[in-house]
Amino acid sequence: MDYTKLLEKAIVVSSSVALFCNVIKHIWSSTKMEKEPVKVLVTGAAGQIGYALIPMIARGVMLGPDQPVIIHMLDIEQAAEALHGVEMELIDGAFPLLRGVVATTDVAEACSDVNIAIMLGGIPRREGMERKNVMSRNVSIYKAQALALEQHAAADCKVLVVANPANTNALILKEFAPSIPEKNITCLTRLDHNRALGQIAEKLQEHVSDVKNVIVWGNHSSTQYPDVNHATVTTNSGEISVRDLIANDKWLNTEFITTVQQRGAAIIKARKHSSALSAASAVCDHIHDWVLGTPEGTWVSMGVCSYGSYGITPGLIYSFPVTCQNGKWSIVQGLKIDEFSRAKMDATANELLEEKSLAYSFLG
Amino acid sequence: MAKQPVRVLVTGAAGQIGYALVPMIARGVMLGPDQPVILHMLDIPPAAEALNGVKMELIDAAFPLLKGVVATTDVVEACTGVGVAVMVGGFPRKEGMERKDVMTKNVSIYKSQASALEKHAAANCKVLVVANPANTNALILKEFAPSIPEKNISCLTRLDHNRALGQISERLKVQVCDVKNAIIWGNHSSSQYPDVNHATVKTPSGEKPVRELVKDDAWLNGEFISTVQQRGAAIIKARKLSSALSAASAACDHIRDWVLGTPEGTWVSMGVYSDGSYNVPAGLIYSFPVTCRNGEWTIVQGLPIDEFSRKKMDATAEELSEEKALAYSCLS
Repeated sequence: MDYTKLLEKAIVVSSSVALFCNVIKHIWSSTKMEKEPVKVLVTGAAGQIGYALIPMIARGVMLGPDQPVIIHMLDIEQAAEALHGVEMELIDGAFPLLRGVVATTDVAEACSDVNIAIMLGGIPRREGMERKNVMSRNVSIYKAQALALEQHAAADCKVLVVANPANTNALILKEFAPSIPEKNITCLTRLDHNRALGQIAEKLQEHVSDVKNVIVWGNHSSTQYPDVNHATVTTNSGEISVRDLIANDKWLNTEFITTVQQRGAAIIKARKHSSALSAASAVCDHIHDWVLGTPEGTWVSMGVCSYGSYGITPGLIYSFPVTCQNGKWSIVQGLKIDEFSRAKMDATANELLEEKSLAYSFLG
Repeated sequence: MAKQPVRVLVTGAAGQIGYALVPMIARGVMLGPDQPVILHMLDIPPAAEALNGVKMELIDAAFPLLKGVVATTDVVEACTGVGVAVMVGGFPRKEGMERKDVMTKNVSIYKSQASALEKHAAANCKVLVVANPANTNALILKEFAPSIPEKNISCLTRLDHNRALGQISERLKVQVCDVKNAIIWGNHSSSQYPDVNHATVKTPSGEKPVRELVKDDAWLNGEFISTVQQRGAAIIKARKLSSALSAASAACDHIRDWVLGTPEGTWVSMGVYSDGSYNVPAGLIYSFPVTCRNGEWTIVQGLPIDEFSRKKMDATAEELSEEKALAYSCLS
C-alpha cells in the first residue's frame, strides 16, 4: 500500500467535505429561513382582555421573539366596529412579527386553519343573573364554537378557554369537538398560579422569579386550591421550601388561600374593571410554556382533561401541576397529598361535577 | 451577571395608555429581554385606588424582569432615581374647553413635573412626553428643567411614523417590516407632515422608493397624508376610546431605538429639540428623522426637500411657534 497516496486521498476527501459543509452553511444562513407564521385565534377580541392580549401576541410574548404570527380576531356583530378599531391599531403598531390580521364576526372564517385558539368570548355574569342563566347561554356558545373549531381549525390546534366558567366551558367544547384531541383542550388557571407566586414573593420580599412550583388545583373559581406544599424559593443556599421559609402555616392555610381565591374581586374593587392585564399575561405564559416547554425543574398549573390522576374523576377539566415538552403537557405524578389538601382538592372536584351536571341539563 | 435594574417612570399610569404600556415595559419590549426594570407609576389622588389595582395586577403577573413597583401620587417619590420617564399624564381637552384653558392647565402640570424630574431623576434621564399637546408640553418641561440636557427631552411622533409605515404596507400589500424611512415632520397634531420622499420598500430586487412603487402621487400627497394626520380620530370613532394599544407600542419603540440604537440604514421619527436643521426654527420641539447610537439621537442631515414638503414643514413649525407663544403667555 502506498501510504503517501492514501494520505493524499484522505486529505483531498476531507477538505472537499469541509468545503461542501461550509458552502451549505453559507447558503442556509444567507437565505435566512424564517419560520412559517402561526395563526392565533382570539375570540371576544374586542373586549378588555383581548385589547391587552393582542399586542402581547404581536410582540412575540406568546410564541417567542422569532415566531411570526397571523392574528384572527372574532367578536359578535355588536362589537364589529370596535373590532375594526383594534385591527386598525394593529396595523398602526407596525409590529415586525405580525404577518396578517383577520378581524371578523364570522366564526368559520375566524377558525380557519388556526393553530392556537384563545377563547375569551362568553356571557359574563351580571348582577341579578342566576348561575343557571349564565351556564345555559355559555353552553350554547361553546357548543357552536366547538363545531366551528373542529371543522375549520388546523390539525393539532391547541385550545385555551378563558371565559368563565372556564373549566366547564372547556368541557363543553371538548364534548362537541370530538375530533380535537382531548389533550389539546385546556382552561386557564395560570393566572391563579401566578397570583400565588406573587403573594409568596411579596410575603418573603423575594423576587417572584425566584419562587416556583406552587400548584393551583381544580376549578378556576372560589373553590380553587392554591397549594404551596411543594413550592420552593431559590436562594444563595439552594432551593428552600416555601413552608419552611414563611414559617407561618396558619397564614398559608387560610389568608394566603383566600387572598388568591378572591384576588379577581379585589382587582375589580380597585380598578372598577376586571383584571385584563394580568389575565392576558397569564394566557401568554400558558401557551408559551405549553408550546416551548417548561424550564427544567419547574412546573406550572393548567386546567386539563383528567385521566384519574390524584383520584380526580376522569373527564373533568381540572387544574393540575404539569410540565411541558415538545408541545405536550404531562401531569407531575407522585406528589404527596396531605389530608388538608385532599379535602380541598375533592371539594373543588365536586363543584366541577355539579357544574358538569348543570351544563348537561341544558343540552337535553 | 444580570444587569442592574433601570427605573422607568410612567405618569398618568392609571389611565388607558398606562394600562397598555406597563405590561409591555415589564416584558422587556421597551429596554430589551435581558434588562430588569423597576416601574414607577404616578397618578393623581382621585386615581389612587385604580393605580393600586394596576400595581396588584403587575404583582399578579409574576413578570421575571420586573424587580419592583412603586405606585404613588407623590411626584417626588415617583421621580426618584428614574432613568427613563414616560409622561402620559396631562389634562385632556374636553368638549367646550378653549385651547387656552387646556394649555394653561398643562403648562402648570409640566412646569411642576419638570422641577421634580430635575431634582430627583437619575443623571442622564431620558424623557418622552406623550400627553398632548406633546411637543409644547415637552418644551415647557425643558424650560423648567434646565439641568436636564435638552437632548434628553423628546416627544412622541413614533405613533404617526408607525401609522405612515402601516398605510404604505397596506397600500402595497407588503409586510410592514419591509417598509422604512418614512418621516414625520413637526407637530404631533393635524399639521404633522408624513413624508415618504425618502421611504423605501425591501423587495426581492433590492430597496425601491415608495413613490415609485405606489405610482400615485395624488394619493401620496393627498389622502395618505390626511389619513395619517387624522388616524387618531378614526380610532376614537371606531373604538369610542383613543388609541392606547398603538400609542403604548410606539412609546416602547421610541425608547428602545433611542437606548439600543436604530438598525443600520434605518431612521425613525422623534420630536426633539431643534438646532435649526432644515431651516426649522431653533428652540422648538419638532419631529425630525433621526438615527440613534450609544443612547444618543442624531438628525439625518442632507435630505433633499422639495417645495411641497417645504411648505408643509414650515406650516407645522409655525403652529408650534404659536403654541409656544400661547404657552408662555399662560406662564406670566
